[in-house]
Amino acid sequence: MSAAEHEATDEHPVRLSARQLARRRRRESFMRGWRTFRRNRSGMLGLVVLGLFAFIALAAPLLASAEGLEVTKATGGVLEPPSSEYWLGTDDQGRSVLTLLIWGARISLFVGLAATVISMVIGTLVGLISGYSSGWSAAVLFRLTEWFLVIPFLPLAIVLATVLGRSLFNIALVIGVTSWPSTALLIRSQTLSIKERAYIERARVLGAGRWHQIRKHVLPNVMPMVFANTTLTVAIAILAETTLSFLGLGDPTRVSWGSMLEDAFQVGAITTGAWWFIVPPGVCVVLVVLAFTLVGQALEEVLNPRLKGR
Amino acid sequence: MLACLTPGIALSGAAAPANAADDTTFVVGMTNEVDSFNPFLGIEASSFESYALTYDLMVGYSMKDMSPEPALATKWSTTADGLTWTFDIRSGVKWNDGQDLTARDIAYTYTRVLDGDGAYWLPYLNGVETVTAPDDTTVVLKMKTPSSSLPLLPIPILPEHIWKDVSQDEMKSYAAEPQDGQPVVGSGPFTLVEGTAGGSTYRFEANPDYWQGAPHIDEVVIRVFKSDDPMVQALIKGEIDFAEDISPLQVKSLQDQPGVTAHNAMTPNFAEIGFNTGSIDTETGKPIGDPNPAVMDPKFRHALGYAMDLDQIIDKVYQGAGQAGDSIIPPPYFDYRWEPSADEAFTFDLDKAGQLLDEAGYTKGSDGLRTMPDGSPIGTLRLAARSDSAMDVSLNTMDYFKEWLDQLGIKAEVQAYESSKLTSVILDGTFDAFQWGWYVEPDPNTMLSYMTCGQRGDWSDSWYCNKKYDALYEQQQKETDQAKREDEVKQMQQILFEDSPYLVTAYETTGEAVRSDHFACFQPQPDPGGVWLIQYGAHNYINARPADQAGDCDGVTSAIGATEAADSGGVSTGFWVGAGIAALVLVGVGGVVMLRRRSTAGERE
Amino acid sequence: MSLTTAPTAVETPRPRRRSYGRYVVGKVAGSVGSLAFVLVVNFFLFRVLPGDPARTLGRGRFSTAEQLAEFNKTYALDQSLPQQFVTYVKNTLTGDLGISLKYRVPVSDLILDRMWPTLLLVGTSTILAAVIGVWLGIRGAWKRGGAFDKVSTGSSLTLYSMPEWWLGLLLIAVFAVGWGPIPGIFPTGGLHSVEADPGTLSGVLDTAWHLTLPVITLTLAYLAEYSLIMRSSLLDELGEDYLTTARAKGLRDITVRNRHAVPNALLPTTTVIALSMGYIVAGAITIETVFSIPGLGLLGVEALEVPDYWVLQGTFMVASAGVIFANLVANLLYGLLDPRVRT
Repeated sequence: MSAAEHEATDEHPVRLSARQLARRRRRESFMRGWRTFRRNRSGMLGLVVLGLFAFIALAAPLLASAEGLEVTKATGGVLEPPSSEYWLGTDDQGRSVLTLLIWGARISLFVGLAATVISMVIGTLVGLISGYSSGWSAAVLFRLTEWFLVIPFLPLAIVLATVLGRSLFNIALVIGVTSWPSTALLIRSQTLSIKERAYIERARVLGAGRWHQIRKHVLPNVMPMVFANTTLTVAIAILAETTLSFLGLGDPTRVSWGSMLEDAFQVGAITTGAWWFIVPPGVCVVLVVLAFTLVGQALEEVLNPRLKGR
Repeated sequence: MLACLTPGIALSGAAAPANAADDTTFVVGMTNEVDSFNPFLGIEASSFESYALTYDLMVGYSMKDMSPEPALATKWSTTADGLTWTFDIRSGVKWNDGQDLTARDIAYTYTRVLDGDGAYWLPYLNGVETVTAPDDTTVVLKMKTPSSSLPLLPIPILPEHIWKDVSQDEMKSYAAEPQDGQPVVGSGPFTLVEGTAGGSTYRFEANPDYWQGAPHIDEVVIRVFKSDDPMVQALIKGEIDFAEDISPLQVKSLQDQPGVTAHNAMTPNFAEIGFNTGSIDTETGKPIGDPNPAVMDPKFRHALGYAMDLDQIIDKVYQGAGQAGDSIIPPPYFDYRWEPSADEAFTFDLDKAGQLLDEAGYTKGSDGLRTMPDGSPIGTLRLAARSDSAMDVSLNTMDYFKEWLDQLGIKAEVQAYESSKLTSVILDGTFDAFQWGWYVEPDPNTMLSYMTCGQRGDWSDSWYCNKKYDALYEQQQKETDQAKREDEVKQMQQILFEDSPYLVTAYETTGEAVRSDHFACFQPQPDPGGVWLIQYGAHNYINARPADQAGDCDGVTSAIGATEAADSGGVSTGFWVGAGIAALVLVGVGGVVMLRRRSTAGERE
Repeated sequence: MSLTTAPTAVETPRPRRRSYGRYVVGKVAGSVGSLAFVLVVNFFLFRVLPGDPARTLGRGRFSTAEQLAEFNKTYALDQSLPQQFVTYVKNTLTGDLGISLKYRVPVSDLILDRMWPTLLLVGTSTILAAVIGVWLGIRGAWKRGGAFDKVSTGSSLTLYSMPEWWLGLLLIAVFAVGWGPIPGIFPTGGLHSVEADPGTLSGVLDTAWHLTLPVITLTLAYLAEYSLIMRSSLLDELGEDYLTTARAKGLRDITVRNRHAVPNALLPTTTVIALSMGYIVAGAITIETVFSIPGLGLLGVEALEVPDYWVLQGTFMVASAGVIFANLVANLLYGLLDPRVRT
């Protein structure tokens, strides 16, 4: 709280500046939103799970030694079942599955988030412009969005991943570049409906430039929707990374949950009954994606009171 | 279709996975697809297997060591100068459409290869000028220069009366597949009755009039799987009788499986770490790419040979299935193979490696990193690995190599590429070392050719060029005296060992498993220790028989006999239980749906 | 795409109403435009792939530069890029999809051969998923908050968060291999047993048996999204005024639901099903891999190794065309049922 606000009492009403007013209003709406969010049990659960995985990813070096990832330093036997020494057993190179799982969280989450950032940036920009502008640039962008939406995701991602080469960044790029259309469409329809609102008309009449309007009026109103959509996009991005890694397109020098499942499949974990290699990575993916989805749904509820109580 | 899917599940007794020992159909599972049934076009292993089943060779391969033995040709001789070869062809062999197979078919097939149709087979006719059939039982090869690889001729013999209607242009896409129910015309122990390139099931029926005697099994089916695991599962359940090319882990897990015999078979494959010994533009002779000057020095490379713990690589990277490597001619070809003597051979000795590096001028600087003889830093060596190798062998081998280089004071980084990308990288010369492997044919000529100066920019991936090596190569290629030739080949291997363009890491194995309770009498090739299928020739397909008829397998003691039959009754019981449950569920769901509809109908106003 | 808000019409409705005919023409024109776009993208996309098919295929076949040149000439790889493009467009429009570099058979033959397993697998799963998913969604929305709804929504969310191929692996491990007391009765993969002749009745049943686990896997994967969307669009609908009116008029609940709410709620659901075609294609690829089904998805993935340009273009084209077609059908259907959309 700023000094000016602190002094405000009934006896001494302090006149707040426009910016301070705006800030206070925003904070109040945030608190309101948070309270609504808190009441959504599944959303809270999702948040807790996310927090847990975020902690695991960040604290990975503390939880498991990085040496455990190196093939040349593996000490365990091949595909050993869980024991007191290796809580989740070992993989086909003798490394501890638990260590792989912990460090894999980093890659899976990182790629998911990076891909989402790329996707959201492209999608929001395209959506805003095609929704707000009128004229041929908007029409072209809209057509482009529709066309991209039509191309099936996985074949395109596979081809791009093969073209660009297999690195962490490239996979994030591929996922981001193939998943922006749905975001763009959503933002576009939001923008279209906001565009009709009265105060925008007023601003335009007053001579505000297009970008100024987008920045000051459209964007803040679209941002909440963008935010909610982002969490759901992360969920999809993590699923996409896992699938691409499973198909053998991930970074071969990094361990992710998807690459663990790829190894399990290639090495015949089903035949040898090495359930500790197949089940945990999948469970982690499900938990993280589910958590993001629940949080995203709760956020949508916060933003759209009509959805309350679902 | 949809209507009969649902009730069908409960009724599909006929579709239960059949116990393949009830009839004599031998089902082989492979993960490799046929790319073409046309022997002039296909290059995949399963394609070659198909040719072995359906066509004959003029000269065959022995089971013991793949040396030449009679097939369509009963005997052969050559003139002292090696410029004329004469083959006596047996008579009475028929094509499966009833026509006679004569020497003319052989001459026709070889002539088409010489005319440019089957580029893959051309190297085997190296030096041949003409192939003629003066009569029905004689084939004569006239040579421009002698060729030491003769009489090894693995070219499938095709029927002239069918293939003469295929022009050279049409040949490029001629499928040679069964059409309109007509099987393909061949003379081999089996006939291709069903199958198409890119398909997943290929069916071969036994040829009862085969000149070596009818096979003991009625049908061979090759079933293509997209990955190992389902294939091994199918083997365990008895859906297939043979699983080809499985991993050592799977072989290990099958050891306790009743009714299954599995092994890691020796193959003439080797894996190597190859270096860029000097990539150049083959037209101008100017260097291209950017090889690190260190790897272009044979002394540097040879020193690194002592920095490899091959036993650990076999143990960890190959799961124990394989043998430490040295020369590019693998153990099965013991006639041609050269082995380093005890004090020449590489051992895992980092101190010795360091010593040799010091002597060559690559001493350690103050920061612990080695430098070039002139004092400049070596920099980081780029180790190119294939990201698509089985069991990640390529990546893991390079990981270990990087670590040993690190211990020597040389920095390195592993770069992963797809195989097709790596080919470009190699041809562009933008690498320092790579990891790959070769399959070596019974005649060493082809493998030796890959290290000649002339193959740079083509098949030579190490860009190696040594005049002395090339001279020996020319010589052995024309050598008519077998003993002299073996000696020349051995000398060449010695040169390669000293110059070390390759550091051979391992002789690889391939995993195989067979339902020995269903079928028996598979002889390894080479014998002992080799593979049971995907061999040179169709020997095992002819001799394999149902396990209960094995007897002594015609006196071949190394062939697989029969073990106790597996209990497959449980499969059928389980199937009916599951089918019953499925039926109940469907009835339940259907019933609920019906009930709802009825109640809604009752509510209609 | 969010799971709790049903998608609204793609374009905001404007006051003028056009006829259905002009709407159809507009949509068809749009689809043709999409196809043209895909055609162009298709060609250039694969030309950027690393690797040279002559070298990849030539390893073991060509030993001279002349043979390499011959190979390139046969497949017109030595022409300039714009020239190749023109040839490609001409050929595609006449139905000639080229020759596979790897198999040396016409691509159209390959695609026709491998198409029906994919269609069978994906078609059956989509229909089952749509039917079951819609039913689940209706049931859940109607008794919102009840036990059924909670379980159904929870399972749908979980299934939605699961990679479908992982589900497939688990199902194989439990039901095809067997785990503990559960017998492994299903086949582990492939399309039919060795002895079965796909043409006969027993062969058809055998194929069905082999497709059971894959279809179950995909159905579970697809129905999660459908049930959630159906549920939320029905919930949207149930809040509408006209339903309150209907109830006030004395109509029974279940009639209100089935006669009014559901049909209106079905519209956005059909849009979703059509828009999820891309997801359906992805499912085909991964499930074919896991269950070793020789379909179109796998054909495309394998062609990447060469790279087999014509096969890649062909399968990509087919997949995109399928999605475009599904979108067109959904749009036309939607336009027929909801005049508001025909702008």
